[in-house]
Parts: sequence; structure tokens; C-alpha cells
Amino acid sequence: MKKSALKRRAILDAAYRLFRAQGFDKTSIAEITALAGGSKATIYSHFRSKEVLFVECMMAAVEDYMSSTLKHLDTSVDPRVALEHFGTSVLNFLCSPERLEVRRLMIAEAARSGTGKLFFDKIAALRTHVSAFLSACMQSGKLRRDDPDLAASHLGALLEAEILEPLLLRVREASPDEKETALAASRAVAAFLRAYAPARLTPVPHGQLNCTNRFC
Amino acid sequence: MKTKTEAKRQAILEAAAEVFREVGFERASMSEIRARIGGSKATLYNYFPSKEKLFFEVMHHAKALELEAIVGALNQDADDLKQELVHFGQKFLAVVYSPEAIAVRRLVIAEARHSDVGKVSFERVTVPIEKRVAEFLKRNMKRGNLRTADAKTAAMHLLGLLESEALQRVLLGVIESVKPDAISGAVRRAVDVFLSGYGRR
Repeated sequence: MKKSALKRRAILDAAYRLFRAQGFDKTSIAEITALAGGSKATIYSHFRSKEVLFVECMMAAVEDYMSSTLKHLDTSVDPRVALEHFGTSVLNFLCSPERLEVRRLMIAEAARSGTGKLFFDKIAALRTHVSAFLSACMQSGKLRRDDPDLAASHLGALLEAEILEPLLLRVREASPDEKETALAASRAVAAFLRAYAPARLTPVPHGQLNCTNRFC
Repeated sequence: MKTKTEAKRQAILEAAAEVFREVGFERASMSEIRARIGGSKATLYNYFPSKEKLFFEVMHHAKALELEAIVGALNQDADDLKQELVHFGQKFLAVVYSPEAIAVRRLVIAEARHSDVGKVSFERVTVPIEKRVAEFLKRNMKRGNLRTADAKTAAMHLLGLLESEALQRVLLGVIESVKPDAISGAVRRAVDVFLSGYGRR
């Protein structure tokens, strides 16, 4: 690794430890400098502001999470099972105190800096994987054909619908446990799968329901 | 320091509303607001300690009333459920995506980090809206227009779907605003998906 990349890594590590331990507001660039070594100028040559540094280091933590969450999007298993596991994993992640704080900060800063856009691009990368999975399900007839990006937006909104707002606004402090996120995910996925179910063939007239074909 | 009066407070709120409407939250300044009402900066700060507090007082209440009226107008006995939902969705999103409402929402989320503003807003706005929408959906489940399900969850799913296409992007400043035809399209798509998810088979 190049010297500059090593320095960048060291700054991210130091910042991540401090942000996690004491939050965004209470952490200063001076403290990060003290922990990472070097000067404030070095930090600013890598990251243009404390906000950008915050997004970057929270996003660095996302990489690990991404791979473990995305592995649930397995086209060889039943879409319900895949999406419920994926949804629960996403919610556990989004409802963690650090992720909520990232989201609050990004929204708070949105009008003043381009940090919100930076953050959104990172979310969009995750969304691309979900779209690809849904697109594969549409191709194989497990879901009806529609715009997979739109479907991914709908799925994301349904997943967050019951649980995120009170946490974001700190109406409740305690993060939900796995049972609660799994329940919210299963309700969201149930509504999603009904909405995106493949079109059924012409309804079978009453009295002829003796077919064992899976399309019946 | 002079004692605070309700008349003065109202005058400040009105002047502030004017300034916010004209230049938006970001560009509005306490000095501009003070210039419209006269008096000293100290007096103004005595009533409202910050631009944020003032903005919250002015806009949060106004937007809450608008949303309340829209949700209140939901006719649970309407003949055409889809049409009623589309109509509701368009009016609702037009307010949600208005620059003032977006600025209020950003402010509430930002302030939630330090104060109970988030809680106040949630209880004053979010809870009553969800409750009213849930009542509407419950009535339609009873009428056989929707399948029987948890009405509260269904309400949150409906509102989430309505906001699904643009809210994050607007809040994060990726896009400035949502055009009326984008709102119409998003509402139609959301209502279609909601009705397929919660309709009777």
C-alpha cells in the first residue's frame, strides 16, 4: 500500500474509533489528528471536512456488512426466504445507533454540503444489487415483470416503513431486537410479494380446481 | 429586559414567516427578520433563541395543519378506493415535498440529535396521520375493498410506498424538488403496488 493510502487508512481507523466512542459532535479533528498522528493539514488533504470524513469512515464499515447482507440475495432459494433474511439483515444494520446517526447527519448537512449526495451514491450502490436480484426473479417468472429499480425502491420503503422513523427522530432510543426486525421484514416482504406476484393465468372456473400444475 | 407579550411574539412569527417564504430557510437571517419588526436583536433573541427555533415555530405548525387537513379529507366511504388514494397521495406528497416541509423535516431530524424536537414532531404530526390513514384503511377492509390485515402496518406501508421514489433523494439534497408530474407518476405506481399488496384476491 502506498504511503498516502496507509495514512488515509490510519485516519479512517482513528476517526472511526473516536466517532463510535463519543459521537460526531464531541469528536474534533484535533483529537483524530492526535490519535492518527500527523497534522490537521494532512487530514484535510484527504478529507475536505469532518462530515466527509464521517461518511467515509462509516461507509468503510459498510463494506463488510454489504457482503454478508448481499449473500442473502440468492436466486436459487425461494424469494420469500431470501428477501426476509435480506430484509432483517438490512434493518438490523439501518437501526443501529451509528447508522441512524449517519443518516441524521447527512440529512442535517444536506442543504449545506454535497455530503448528502455522496451518501446517497453509496446507498444507490446497494440498491443496484437489490435491483439485479429482483430483475433475475422477474426473468425466471418468480415475480411479475416490471421496472426492477422501482421494485427495489418499493421494497426498501416497505422494509423501513414500520420501524425507522421513531428511531431516526429518537422517539425511541433502544434499537429493536432481531425478533422485531424480522417481524417488520416479514410483513414488508409479504406485502411486496403479493404486489409483485406473477400475473396469474386466466382464473379457473369453479369446479375445475383439480390441476396440480404449479401455475394453478 | 421587557416582559414578553403575545402580540410581539405573533408579530415576530408573521415577519419570520414572510422572510422564510421569500428567501427560504437557508438564506433567511435573524437580522432581516429583526429589520421587518423593528426593535433590537436582543429582543428578538429573547423571544426565539435561534433561527432554527423560529423556523420550527412558524413552519412546523403550518405544515402540520396542511397535512392534517389532507388526511382529514380522506373519505372512507368513497366509491372508488383507488381514485381516493391517488387523490390523497398527490395532495399529501405535494405538501411533503414542498421546500418548506423539506426544510422543516431536515431541521427536525437534525435537532432530534440534541433535543426532544423529534419526539414533539412525531407525536404531533406522524402519529395522528398514521392513525387517520389506518382508520381509513380499516373501514375499507370492513367494506371488503381490502383484505383483512393489520391496519396500522398497512397505513405505514402505504405512506412508505408513497414516499419511496423521492423522499431520500430530496432530504439528502440529491435533487432540489420533485416536479408535479413526477409526483403523479410516483403516486400511481405506489397506489397500484399498495392495492396489489393489500387488495382482495
